[in-house]
Amino acid sequence: MAGVLVDSAEASALGTAAGLRRRRYLALATGWVGFVAIWWLLSVWVNSDARLPSPGRVWDEVWIIFNGDPTNSRNDGGIFWNNFLASVIRVLLGFVVGVAMGTPLGFLMGRNRYWRSFLKSPVMIAGSIPGLTYAVMVLVVFGISFVGPVLAIGLISMPYIAINVAEGVGGVDKGLLNMSRSFGRSEKQMFRDVVVPSVLPFIFAGVRLSFSLAWKVGQLTEVFGASQGIGFQIRRNFQLFNMPAVIAWIGLFIIFMLVLERFVLVRIERKLFRWRQWEREG
Amino acid sequence: MAKVTVSKLAKLFPPPIKGGDVVRAITNIDFEVDGNVFVSIVGPSGCGKSTLLNILSGVDTPTSGSVTVTEAGKPAKLGYVFQDARLLPWRSVMDNMMYVRDDASDESVANAAKYLSMVGLDHTHEMFPGQLSGGMQQRVGIARAFSVEPDLLLMDEPFSHLDAMTARSLRDHLQELWSRTRKTVLFVTHDVMEAVQLSDRIIVLAPGGVIYDDISIDLPHPRKASDPKVATLQAEILGQFENMQIPAVE
Ligand SMILES: Nc1ncnc2c1ncn2[C@@H]1O[C@H](COP(=O)(O)OP(=O)(O)OP(=O)(O)O)[C@@H](O)[C@H]1O
Ligand SMILES: [Mg+2]
Repeated sequence: MAGVLVDSAEASALGTAAGLRRRRYLALATGWVGFVAIWWLLSVWVNSDARLPSPGRVWDEVWIIFNGDPTNSRNDGGIFWNNFLASVIRVLLGFVVGVAMGTPLGFLMGRNRYWRSFLKSPVMIAGSIPGLTYAVMVLVVFGISFVGPVLAIGLISMPYIAINVAEGVGGVDKGLLNMSRSFGRSEKQMFRDVVVPSVLPFIFAGVRLSFSLAWKVGQLTEVFGASQGIGFQIRRNFQLFNMPAVIAWIGLFIIFMLVLERFVLVRIERKLFRWRQWEREG
Repeated sequence: MAKVTVSKLAKLFPPPIKGGDVVRAITNIDFEVDGNVFVSIVGPSGCGKSTLLNILSGVDTPTSGSVTVTEAGKPAKLGYVFQDARLLPWRSVMDNMMYVRDDASDESVANAAKYLSMVGLDHTHEMFPGQLSGGMQQRVGIARAFSVEPDLLLMDEPFSHLDAMTARSLRDHLQELWSRTRKTVLFVTHDVMEAVQLSDRIIVLAPGGVIYDDISIDLPHPRKASDPKVATLQAEILGQFENMQIPAVE
């Protein structure tokens, strides 16, 4: 009867896992419903679209953002994708610029003591300048442009990538390098199979650290100097006193960020660093 | 049939503190190993054993003197087993085996699998090092070194991090593997009993990196630790060691 025992134990273990997950989703849903309910009550109490529009009004705006505005022929429903894509492309490109600048700097700093002391202060300073400064700076230099925001995003994310890569390169296991050498592996193989996999988690940590920062700076540059993008839409609607639209854009932005973080970044990491779940001390 | 020639080898390290003395890891040693013999190098901690292996493997360079490791006149192929397993944590066991090989052909994979099987790790091909116990990781390290079919196998205290029981069973695995393949082996240890069980010859180093003694052991392989002849010899040589006046580091 041992088999039966095991089966029922397994079944109940699986049952609890599924039950746990269901309970977690329930809690999540309750949280959101509660949030919207409180928002709605507050908006009834405030009773002013300009101060706190109701969830329903914001939902109308979301609908307009996606489907177009029947009372306004210029808004044909392409508005979401045009602005959204503009923001996404800017941030991604800026990010690529940041990684492209930060990674080699990080390698230099991690490998070589002299480069480290030479680069440390500038990189630290670059990392402690507020995002707003970058946003204003590129506006002053480039005006309303495409390059400006991309550069600002690149500059704000670069130090995080560089410092993390330096940390990773400094921490590459010398024992593994010696092992590779004594088995006659080439420098290229050692770089590809030892150095890169050791540094990759650090690059990712840098990416995650600077990711939300990059978005914030991206939005800031759009608020000041862009003719498209989520940030631009927020500013425009603010100037038109259209609070429901402002909140609709902010809400869409937040949802997009959550999805990107939870589903894209976390998944890539899980896949790339599968081996790390078995890492242990000693 | 590798041939190892070490002549007038010395290795100095820069002083650990500013203005201190240089560290003499190895001072003028000469020895030769020729043919498929199992040679142990024993000596107290800090007498330059690891340094010697690192110089032989080309990871480190001598300060003066020379080492040559040849196979029929050509540079020999090396395998190295370290004190810790030194596996790439991001690669599976099989991929770790393949990392040190030059081709990924089916034969190459089959060959790697054969050596994993010899150390009893048939079921672990897809596992990651983090999923294995310390002893299993060390066995992968041993299989990896044997699998490149080296002319010279260097082993640096490969069992010293393991518990006595695991170490004992791995020693048996090693005896098995060695009796079958008969490589030239240089095996560093500070365990005299282990050296006696495994080797045909024991080179004893003293602090400062000088050769203190050179002992040959003439017993057939594979040897079991439980073999009374091995035990007798172990007791005898251990007795000799106790009477040795190994000079302290100055
Ligand atoms: N990279 C290095 N830099 C400076 N000194 C070193 C270096 N490597 C080894 N030494 C010194 O050389 C001496 C010999 O070291 P080695 O590691 O060869 O000893 P060992 O015989 O292997 O000792 P153990 O049995 O403890 O492993 C020691 O005094 C050590 O401090
Ligand atoms: Mg050592």
